[in-house]
Amino acid sequence: MKMVARGLAALALVWTLGGCEMAGDASPEAKGDGTGTVELAEFPERPLWGDTHLHTDNSIDAFGFGTRLGPEEALRFASGEEVTATTGMKAKLARPLDFLVIADHSDALGATKRLYEAPRLMIRDKTLLRWYDMMHEGPQQSQKAIAELITAAANGNLPEALRDQSNAEKNTREIWQTHLDTLDRFNRPGKFTALAGFEYTLMPDGNNLHRVVMFRDGSDRTKQVLPYPGIESTAAGLWDYMDAYEQKTGGKVLAIPHNSNVSNGLMFELTMPGGGAMTADYARRRAKHEPVVEVTQIKGDSEAHKYLSPNDEFSSFGVEGWELGNLPLTHRSTPDMFAGNYIREALKRGLTIEQKIGVNPYAFGLVGSTDSHTSLATGDENNFFGKHTGVEPRPGRVMEPQNLGTDAGRFGWHYLAGGYAAVWARANTRAEIFDAFMRREVYATTGPRMVLRLFGGFDFSNNDWGSDWVRNGYKRGVPMGGQLADKGKAPTFLISALKDPDGANLDRVQVVKGWVDASGKSQEKVYDVVWSDMAKRKPVGGKVPAVGDTVNRMAATYTNSIGAAELRTAWTDPDYVKGQRAFYYVRVLEIPTPRWVLFDMVRFKLKLPKDVIEKGVAQERAYSSPIWLNPAKPAGGA
Amino acid sequence: MKLPGWTGEPLVHFLLGGALLFAFFAWRGEPVDPASRTIELTRADQARLALNFERVMQRPPTDAELDAVIDQYLREEVLYREALRLGLDQNDIVVRRRLTQKMDELAAAQAETAAPTREELQAWLKAHPERFVTEARYSLEQRWYPDRDTAKAALARLHGGAAPAGEAIDLPPRVEAMERVRLVETFGSTFVEEVDRIKPGSGWHGPVASGFGFHLVRLGKRELGAVPPLATIRDQVEDDWRLSTMRERKQEAYRLLRQAYRIKVDK
Repeated sequence: MKMVARGLAALALVWTLGGCEMAGDASPEAKGDGTGTVELAEFPERPLWGDTHLHTDNSIDAFGFGTRLGPEEALRFASGEEVTATTGMKAKLARPLDFLVIADHSDALGATKRLYEAPRLMIRDKTLLRWYDMMHEGPQQSQKAIAELITAAANGNLPEALRDQSNAEKNTREIWQTHLDTLDRFNRPGKFTALAGFEYTLMPDGNNLHRVVMFRDGSDRTKQVLPYPGIESTAAGLWDYMDAYEQKTGGKVLAIPHNSNVSNGLMFELTMPGGGAMTADYARRRAKHEPVVEVTQIKGDSEAHKYLSPNDEFSSFGVEGWELGNLPLTHRSTPDMFAGNYIREALKRGLTIEQKIGVNPYAFGLVGSTDSHTSLATGDENNFFGKHTGVEPRPGRVMEPQNLGTDAGRFGWHYLAGGYAAVWARANTRAEIFDAFMRREVYATTGPRMVLRLFGGFDFSNNDWGSDWVRNGYKRGVPMGGQLADKGKAPTFLISALKDPDGANLDRVQVVKGWVDASGKSQEKVYDVVWSDMAKRKPVGGKVPAVGDTVNRMAATYTNSIGAAELRTAWTDPDYVKGQRAFYYVRVLEIPTPRWVLFDMVRFKLKLPKDVIEKGVAQERAYSSPIWLNPAKPAGGA
Repeated sequence: MKLPGWTGEPLVHFLLGGALLFAFFAWRGEPVDPASRTIELTRADQARLALNFERVMQRPPTDAELDAVIDQYLREEVLYREALRLGLDQNDIVVRRRLTQKMDELAAAQAETAAPTREELQAWLKAHPERFVTEARYSLEQRWYPDRDTAKAALARLHGGAAPAGEAIDLPPRVEAMERVRLVETFGSTFVEEVDRIKPGSGWHGPVASGFGFHLVRLGKRELGAVPPLATIRDQVEDDWRLSTMRERKQEAYRLLRQAYRIKVDK
């Protein structure tokens, strides 16, 4: 089997040499981290919009699912150009993105592409040969082959030729270096930022512990390493790799966990992986390397689950289907696993762990992204190109089972259209974007481009809404992602949410507070802090009544006749207790709008079941990164 | 069906292939063209092999290594020719795709390496200004109102161009030379479309609708995008010229070849 891999390696090499190398080289400004190339603003002036989680045909599964678009098309699309999707439709973003992280799976980078292109005679492994034949038979068989491949990866029985790192290394190096050159060519400081990254696909027993790894640096540094493989490793191994990269190159790198919702409780454990009390060293390393978590994407939303947050009527957004089990549905989820699956609970666990060992392993900020496997970074409901090429726009995709070939229970309509990452950076460069991630000054949306500001401090009030309020926010408080030290009085938060100018009005702004009570147990509460038509919508039993619903199901339209263009308030915690450890994050809800499912129904004239039509309406949302309130004496931590 | 292990051995395939070949020619009763059974490896060929080795290994081969490379090459060449004789290139999707790819590359090869002259690029820039034009920039003031009537009333109250007050919203009351793409991001596409109908320097206009509500707008300047001089965007123009020319030539070569075919697609 080694011979097969070597054969594939040699073949890929010959073909690369024979293939056409793109002419042209990137400018020195484009090749670095962008420092000194663009004037920096005094403070971040507008959110930069991006996707940190896009797959191209270099991903083993994306290619197998059928995509034939590579990194170059991905970058063109993200920066606003029109491209032709694999299945032939023209694809364009209504508004370009400001940055993109292409995060192809590090495991067997480019392997399906190589397998597909290899002469059949050279493949001797029976499983590989079967997948090869399925891939060549047609798109549906190809998708089945990749579903089998993912299951095999999840179960740890991939054919040796795909697992053998020493043989794959040469191929990986070539693909990686070519890829880094492509990124530099499209990186235009101040205009569009192409960050280097990869996906680390750790998946013990099919339980999703994936991370996107994102670099701050240009190819002069990133070319000195290779993407770190996920299969048969541990997260601690990834952090070692990250440390080694920083030491060797003087560069910087971070990791973004995602899809905790299909981790069967393993993403945010109270203990060490595998059991035993969490050590301060482990907690410190985790917090240092993983400052941000991806909370929402095509494969569901991981903010909060009804089982854990029964009093939050807006929890369990985008959990249907995904809550059934782990990634390939090889193991069902049981409710006791949910606490390790959802980020609100993880933030609470972080506080209790910190109380015990002095370090918070889960003090992270939040972003959204797509995890699209089509090379098309779009999170827009009316422009949804599918999770992978098998579900690019076509009539069958809403109702078809999406079970990755092993078990039933997930259907096309369970996919969300995906989210975006909003970043408060002083300029659009690699260094500035990366640094904003490190200080967690980022937020997540499920697609709409709402502008969300959050500052925490002790002397803010509603008198602060002057023209200079943002400057004052930075001066007298901390922005989202920051930490406050207890001053013996309740903190006040300046919160401003502006609707997406080309999207829906806002229903309400909420503050989600988590804290540790006197008995050492974690608690949570969701406060409605400002909402549209406050005079008319008086709270009933502590809850603000629903905003209403203007969605015409059959036409996939809505009107902005309800809701507000902007909601802002200075909110002081009414339940503050001195010395209590707490976090506060903001959730902004839009008025109900049609999901991609209804746009598909109209476009393809589908007859859909009633319940699917009803679930084709959602209140899209934004989640800020939290601000933490720590006891006056800092107890360490991130 | 499970075949015995020996059926997977390459040697067995090889012998079987040889036997088939023998049987085939014995049956056809034709001698093989002797010329196609001569392999000549010139000094230039050998130099090329050595260079290939060097590219991969980052050093020249030793004599022994060069011998090994030559042996490998000869082996490949013999098997390759025999494979062609056996028709193994037929109905092979990889061969088929590789050959079509080579035809495409052939058509585009010249454009790929050509260094276009300054004049050619200048002409290219002139022919496709829309691909290089910079964004239009807007300088304007705006005031926001939640509904049309309030905006109308505010406009009516205007005397002698004094700026109206507007209601509070976190939008910039004034922007200077903002790129169109930023203006769309900030105020939305409907707003920008309406602003495009306003004559610069003609005072306050409104109500202008946007996703937020209604605005009064005073457009100071609208600087149309300009095509930068070639000197400042030469790399970009050359990239575009090269990609477009390669694509065109592939398409043109295909068109010419296709003309010679009669194509019937059953309905």
